[in-house]
This record gives sequence, C-alpha cells and structure tokens, in this order.
Amino acid sequence: MDYKVNLKPTSLIDPRTKLLLLFVISVYVLGGTGGEKMKVFYWILVFIPVLLLLSDRRWKLFLISVLVYGCSFVAQNLLQGDLTALQSVLALTVYVFVKFLPAVFMARYIMATTKASEFIAAGKKMHLPDAILIPISVIFRYFPTIREEYGSIRDAMKMRGIFMGGGKASQMVEYRLVPLLADSTLIGEELSAAALCRGLEVGVERTCIWQVKMRFLDHVLIGFCILTIFWSIFGGLFYDPI
Amino acid sequence: MIQFKHVSFSYTGEEKSLKDVSCSFEEGRITLICGPSGCGKTTMIRCVNGLIPHFYKGKLEGEVLINGWHTSDTPLQKLSHHVGSVFQNPRSQFFNVDTTSEIAFGCENFGMPPEEIIRRIEEVVKQTGLQDLMDRNIFQLSGGEKQKIACAGVAAQEPEVITLDEPSANLDYKGVCHLQKMLALWKKQKKTVLIAEHRIAYLLPYIDQVLVMEDGEIRETYTGEAFSLLSEEELHKRGLRGKTFENAVTMELPPVKDNKDRMVLNDLRFGYPGESMLLDIPGLELPKGEIIAVVGANGRGKTTFLRCLCGMEKRCKAMLTYNGQSWNRKQRLKHLYMVMQDVNHQLFTDSVLEEVMISQEREDKEKAMEILRLLDLEDVAMRHPLSLSGGQKQRVAVASALASKREILLFDEPTSGLDHRHMLQVADILKQLKEQGKTVILVTHDGELLKQVCTVKISLDAKKETQCQEIKHSVIRKYCRLPKPNSCG
Repeated sequence: MDYKVNLKPTSLIDPRTKLLLLFVISVYVLGGTGGEKMKVFYWILVFIPVLLLLSDRRWKLFLISVLVYGCSFVAQNLLQGDLTALQSVLALTVYVFVKFLPAVFMARYIMATTKASEFIAAGKKMHLPDAILIPISVIFRYFPTIREEYGSIRDAMKMRGIFMGGGKASQMVEYRLVPLLADSTLIGEELSAAALCRGLEVGVERTCIWQVKMRFLDHVLIGFCILTIFWSIFGGLFYDPI
Repeated sequence: MIQFKHVSFSYTGEEKSLKDVSCSFEEGRITLICGPSGCGKTTMIRCVNGLIPHFYKGKLEGEVLINGWHTSDTPLQKLSHHVGSVFQNPRSQFFNVDTTSEIAFGCENFGMPPEEIIRRIEEVVKQTGLQDLMDRNIFQLSGGEKQKIACAGVAAQEPEVITLDEPSANLDYKGVCHLQKMLALWKKQKKTVLIAEHRIAYLLPYIDQVLVMEDGEIRETYTGEAFSLLSEEELHKRGLRGKTFENAVTMELPPVKDNKDRMVLNDLRFGYPGESMLLDIPGLELPKGEIIAVVGANGRGKTTFLRCLCGMEKRCKAMLTYNGQSWNRKQRLKHLYMVMQDVNHQLFTDSVLEEVMISQEREDKEKAMEILRLLDLEDVAMRHPLSLSGGQKQRVAVASALASKREILLFDEPTSGLDHRHMLQVADILKQLKEQGKTVILVTHDGELLKQVCTVKISLDAKKETQCQEIKHSVIRKYCRLPKPNSCG
C-alpha cells in the first residue's frame, strides 16, 4: 500500500487566529481589562476555548471545563453581598479559577493541535523574525520532553522512598531539579546539534509542507476579537451602566 | 570523497580525542569506524558532519575535506545539504512532535518546494516500509521506531554522505534488521556511509572498509572481507562485540536447577489509556535468586512490564507473592528496585556516598562505604554522581539498591551502547548480585549479555494471545546448544 501524505490541517483554525485568541483571552479574561461593559464578551471568551477543545474531541477536558465553569457561574451568583470569611475565600478561589482557566485551556488547545512546523510557517507569514520563531518552536518540542523526564524522576523518587514529609522534605526541590536540569541541558545540546545537522539555521529561507490558510471560521473569530477590542475602547460611549 | 589530513582534536579542557589522524573515505563505500568506548570514533563522525568545529568547541588541527571543501570554512547549513546524520540517542534528535513533519524537516530547512518534499516523503516511506509510523506522535514511539524515523528523515534529504553514530545502541533485533535494510538501500544508491559502532555483527555483510581505533588513533585498517575473518577473541581484544548477530527473543538458555524457591506474579494487566491491553499476565512463576531476562520486540512493553512490576504504574494492580508475603503496588515500590535505562533520573544528591546513605533505613557511613567498596566505587565516594561515567552511575544506582536492602532488582537495558569490556563489567555486577542471593530481572536486547548471565527468560510475544498462554504455563526454561548464527529474514 502506498502512503500518501495527509495534508489536512490538524485543527479548525489557523495558528495566527489561535495566537490572537490567546492574546485577547489573556487581556480581557485574565487581565480583566474593560470592566463591567465587557461582561458579554467576557463570557463568550471564556467559552471559546471550551468549544475548540470540543472540536478537537478532547472530551475529558471539555467535560471538566464545562463542569468547572458551570459550578463557578452558579457560585459567583450565590456568593454576593455580605460574606463570611470562608465564603470570601471560596468566592476568591472561584474568581481566580475562572480568570485563569480560559487562558490555560487555550494554551492547551494550541499545544495539542499545532504542529511546530505549522507554527513556524504562520509566524513567517506574520513576518516574525527567525530569532523569535525558532526558540518558540523548540518550546513545542520541549514541553513533552520535560514532562517525560519529570515523570521518570518522580517515579524514581517514589521507588527510592523519598516522599514529601519523609524527613527529607527540605531537599525535595533540589532532588527533583538537579537531575531535571542536568538532563534537560544534555537533551537541549543534543537536540541543537541534530537540528543544525539537518540544516536549521537562522536567516535561511525555509518552506513548509503544511498549508497555513485563513478560512471562514478564522475570519469569524478574528472579527469577534476585533469587535472585543473595539468595544473595550469605545464601548463606554454606548454603554450605560445602570 | 572525504579526507582527513593530520587531524587532531581536543575538546575544550580535555585531552586529545584525535591524534594526528589521516585517512580517506571514498565515494559510494560503507566504512565502519570501531573501537572501545572513548576511542575517538564519535569525534571522527563529528568532524565529518561539521559539528566539529562549528558546534563542539575545542582545538582542531589539520584539515577535514569533504568533496574538496574544508569543513572548518564551510557553514553547517551548507554542509548539511551533503552530509546527513543519524545519532545515538533517539530521544534527542527530533525537532517535531509528529513523524511526517520530522521526515520533512530537513528538506523544509533547505527551502525545497512543498510538492517535491511530499514526493520525497512518499518515496522514502515506500522504500523503507514506514507506512504504519506515519502521522503519529513521536513521543509515543519506541526507541527503535524513533530511529527508523531518523533514518527516513536523513534519506529524504538525499545527501551524498551519511554518518551514523552508534545507531543500533537502542535497537532490538528487528530494529537492527531494519537498519540493515536501510544500509542495503544506501549501498545500492552509492552513498558514502560512515558508521561508528561496537555492535558490529549486523554490519558485516555491508562494510567495504574498517578502521579500528584506540586512544584517538587509527590502529588498523581492514577491508570488509579481511575484517569478517577475524576471530571472536581478536574482536573482543579490540573492545568489540561478537560476530554473531543474535536474536535475544529466540535465543535459548541452558537449564537451571529446579530446586529453587519461586515467587509468583498474579493478575498483571495494563494498557495505556485509549490503547488496547499491552500486558495481560494472569499468572507467572519466577525462580528466586536467578538472573531473569525479559525479551521482546521494541515497543512490546518490556519497560512497561518492569514499571508495572516495580509499582510505578498506578493503574496496574498486580500481586507479587514473595517468601509467603503478598505485595500490592505500594509494597512493591518499597521492596523492588529498578535501575532505569537513563540512570540520570534516579541520582539526586551531590555525592556518591550520600546517594547510598539516603537509601539506608538508618544512615550508617561504615556500611555505606562497605557497599561502595564492593562495587569498586570507593575512590569516587565524594564525587558528584552526575560527573561520573555512565557505568559508574549505573553502579551507584546498584549501590543505593543494595543499601536499601531490596531483594529484587530490576534493570532496564543495562548494556545498551556499551562496548565489550563494559558489557562484561555489567555482567560481573549482575553475577555478584546473584551470589548475594538477590533476584535480578532485566530487560535486554543484548544477546551477548543474555548468554553471559541469564538463566531464565520471559518472552513478551508480538501477539498478545500467544504471550498469555506461553507465560501462564511455564517460564521458558529450555535446554539448548549454542545459538546458531542467524541472518535477518
């Protein structure tokens, strides 16, 4: 059987749209820019990553996020007015959760559905310099590595009976970080050597087999982002706080 | 045509790795560069692919010429069009997360038109039979599979020269067979191939020229034919592994005495989420105090088997009965000890002595030193574990296992990438452990190690159904003659 390269894009939207969304979510959800008038946009932005995760068939993450948001939405409405100390802590936790999670989910979605190579191609179209693009694309490759390494170290510690609170708690951080750093440095060095031997070089024209193209959904989402930014700046003129 | 003219090289702050080396590699020939660890073969390879002097810094004297260019004046980017490289460590030669992008990577860097790259990928995949590995996440592939992708990536770049640095270190029999196919293809395409390796058996049918190195110098040069006439002893003398290319899976072992106590492993079942069941072992009897080998193809789940056995896989609930005690996962974590393939993961402290002492129930310096003496580590007791050589690190891990008084020790590929002398060293340690009454279970592809020390073998078969039966009824303990030299089918 002959193999045909499958050129279908990995995800529904373009890497550039993903980055814009991450930016807008960070500013308006995490940063809370714009205040009260952004409420509708805020909740739409909260749910965009959830829908994207759904489109990528990440059922588990999707269910978790829906559940968390549902609960926190209810909680936010209940926990208002005069609160006891415990309730305030709870309210604060919920608040922080909802603020942070959308950006986290969005980042997860980007990592899961973007090929390093697609990312470089998209960056090239935005005329970003190689000096920025190449390090970022290495990060794509590096996260899973660090996770793998960290996992093995954790397993080794469990096996050797070095636990939190096992009388050796003060050294825990050191025990974990030293091998991780030693390993990451080594892998980093070998990785650079391999990449150089395969012709990766800053400033040399590079092609990409994956097509990066804006499609209908990209235009809709970008339009929405622009509207969000527009509303945050000029919305005050039309919005009448009650 | 590659020429070395009086080349010497020393890495910054180290002694000379190459001493006045002169030689040439003609077009379309396959050359094996061999010799014991640290003989300078990797340095030779790095001189050819340009990593020396462009990446690894140090003092280079003399000239390395490729097609008449001086490597020191030619930028790596330009060299990379002509020289492709496959490295030893499959974990660290990938830039992408998916296999297809990885094969395309080099060509993309050369700025080739996408249609051409796609044509090349499809051709390489067809030539090398990689259909099953395409569009996969590289992090989910086994070492051998990763190495196949690395070879394919180099092949797609279509360089005239290909260098391989201990490419078989992490491969099983099948993986090595695949590597042989790649070499046959490259030979047919008249590529100039340079391989640094001490597992030489699989290369014998393909090599045209052999350089034997020691201490940074070329000691002997052979034609491929003359080299294959050398006897096993003569090879071992040069730090090389044996001539027979043995399949650890089908190899047979001499009988063990049957009066041993046994331990019983029950209900070991495991599969990664979203995948089918990888291991399904209803019951397995293992003799105590023996050295037991776990064999099977790359990706079959050998390492996973060790991880389950040792209690590292949370979702795997098996029971191990030892000396009348039944151990669940958490108890196994306390009673078994695994020496990982990458020992760096399990050395945490800043001195060898401390490494041993944190494993003791009550810290006892005297006892710790005694263990270090036993393992020939006394001299390095105060050194930082990560500054030691690979073999020493492995022994430090063994020392900490002894300190924690564990009865069952697991080893994951203890001899991958080791030359003959170091392999024998590991074999000695394993025998020592056996003498102390420990049970050793090790995962290995290394037929020679198996022959040296193992007395019992567990095979994880390619097909789950047969594996299950095979293991249920008996641990394979067959009587046998010396293994036949076999070729690759």
